[in-house]
Amino acid sequence: MELLGIFRDVESAAGAVERLVREGFTEAQITSLTSSPYPDGVLVKTDQRSWFRWFTLACGFAGAGAGFLLAAGTAWLYPVRTGDKPIIAFYPTGIVTYELTMLFFLVGTIVGMFLEMRLPPRGKRLYAPEISEGCIGIGITIHAGGEAVACGEGLKPGECVGGIAVLPADEQKRRAEEIMKEAGALRMVTEATL
Amino acid sequence: MSEISDQTGRTIPTGPTSSTTKSATQLNDELLSSLRTPTWKWYGLALFLGAVVAWGLAAFSYQMYTDMSVTGLDRPVMWGVYIVNFVFWIGLSHSGTMVSAILRLCQANWRRPILRAAETMTVFTVAVGGLFPLIHLGRNWVFFYLIPYPNQRGLWPNFRSALLWDATAIFTYIIGSSLFLYLGMLPDLAVARDRASGWRLKLYTVLAMGWRGTAREWVVFQKASTLMAALIIPVAVSVHSIVAWDFAVTVIPGWHSTIFPPYFVIGAIHSGVAAVITLMIIIRKAFHLEEYLTPLHFDNMGKLQLVIALLWSYAYFVEVQTTWYAHEPIEWEVYGFMAHKYTFILLLMLVGNAILPIICLCFKRLRRSIPVMLVITLLINVGMFIERFLIIVPSLSHKNMPFVWGTYRPTWVEISVTAGAFAGFALMYTLFAKTFPMVATTDVREYETQKRLVPVGRTRLPSLAGKE
Repeated sequence: MELLGIFRDVESAAGAVERLVREGFTEAQITSLTSSPYPDGVLVKTDQRSWFRWFTLACGFAGAGAGFLLAAGTAWLYPVRTGDKPIIAFYPTGIVTYELTMLFFLVGTIVGMFLEMRLPPRGKRLYAPEISEGCIGIGITIHAGGEAVACGEGLKPGECVGGIAVLPADEQKRRAEEIMKEAGALRMVTEATL
Repeated sequence: MSEISDQTGRTIPTGPTSSTTKSATQLNDELLSSLRTPTWKWYGLALFLGAVVAWGLAAFSYQMYTDMSVTGLDRPVMWGVYIVNFVFWIGLSHSGTMVSAILRLCQANWRRPILRAAETMTVFTVAVGGLFPLIHLGRNWVFFYLIPYPNQRGLWPNFRSALLWDATAIFTYIIGSSLFLYLGMLPDLAVARDRASGWRLKLYTVLAMGWRGTAREWVVFQKASTLMAALIIPVAVSVHSIVAWDFAVTVIPGWHSTIFPPYFVIGAIHSGVAAVITLMIIIRKAFHLEEYLTPLHFDNMGKLQLVIALLWSYAYFVEVQTTWYAHEPIEWEVYGFMAHKYTFILLLMLVGNAILPIICLCFKRLRRSIPVMLVITLLINVGMFIERFLIIVPSLSHKNMPFVWGTYRPTWVEISVTAGAFAGFALMYTLFAKTFPMVATTDVREYETQKRLVPVGRTRLPSLAGKE
């Protein structure tokens, strides 16, 4: 279950986030939706780690292999005998291997980025077009309700659940909505449109 | 300050609360102004460019229908204006992405309004440049023989041929620079999507890939932008080095030189930066972006152009001086032929590429003058086109065997195809500008969000908030 509050400015949105955290929601449950980037911590604190660059690196290695096989492998498979020229020439093999390595690096970066962002999404998600006009969206993922799991060593940010999780999901949602309205939310979005 | 309506119908002002900055809606309105309904002037321009492209295509079709004898190519000059175009356009493509990538990596804030113009230029110039080897092929309809795939012909491309290196490098560059352009546009496409209707809404929805601008999306996006910028620079350098090797790995006098790859790269940046400035001037005027493309941008780009003009002049001097001092007969013969036969265009090249920019761009007042910058940058590209011509034609005209010396003059077919290429580039750019945001909207807005006027002593100075 998700909830999205639309705020007019950064200050009221940041105030809402602070109150939500004080209420027992965790940083991992809260995200901001903005049409221009803000430094980490201005609105929410996000995990800065990412894995897609490993994917890029793997793609680069695959590209190097593909380039080498394309230039050297096929030259060996289909030999073109020209004077005393080597069948597998160092210089062209190097050029083709380099270019394909870079190509795979570049494509791998874009593909990896989208994979990590989970875009395009499978279903519709909460969104409001006002965000493009400078409004700030504060989204919150409501826990299904149950035991709270305190954040600490050995736990990923997404695995801990704040104290509010002991309440039923509907009650959590009601409280979150109340807090956001008090903080100055222009409106709440509950229907997925994007 | 602009306004939106909330659920209750109240009108609420949006965007930054500081009275010194514009609201997000105002910025969006101004920066996305290129997407407004086309005017008759725009249709007229598109029609004119389309007509020139059609003329170029007709000339090319005539060449295909007849044969290569309709061109001026003949022994000993078998590379003419088509290859000049190829080197020139690939050179132009060099700077767009590279300048954008370098400025991104340096986090130069003044880069923001010029990124899109530069990146778009790269994509279209490399697309036009990549066509010329195919136009030059002769039997153009079998161009797919270049593509390595298993076939019943029993033929496989020979990777020892420099033509294949070009094909591989250009393929990588066009894919890479298109992805780089797309990546930078992603958040802007989401903004455009939220303001669009009809076919534009469908187009932007597909291209924006469901972007919402969550904190996590921004973190990954910024890391990817930095990585792409770092990766695209060596690709750009390699592409023009490979184009230079087309010449340098031969034993033609005037070409067989180790300085060719760096010299080509410098020349490419020289013409590319000049083209970016020219396009900035046109976009500024066409879309009324005077407030965003300010004299400061031209001043900074002018400084960059000055440094590159000095580098180009140094590289050219080294190339000529080495040949002059060694005085190897055949090498010197090529220079003598070039200076004698092409005196006027040689002087025009030296004035346009070196003397004029070096003198003028030393002065801040001239760097900040839009008409002066337009003249200088256009002359640089005229000079660079001549430079490509003077690299190719004189060397082939006077090769090692004097009994096959000759000369070359392009025919109307080659000139028409060249005109078609210039018009084709302009047409693609014009269509793109009407379809996609021509200024990096979110980049500019990020800067506007972080910028504040802070009182210092007796005045107020701009201060920028951001992470280290």
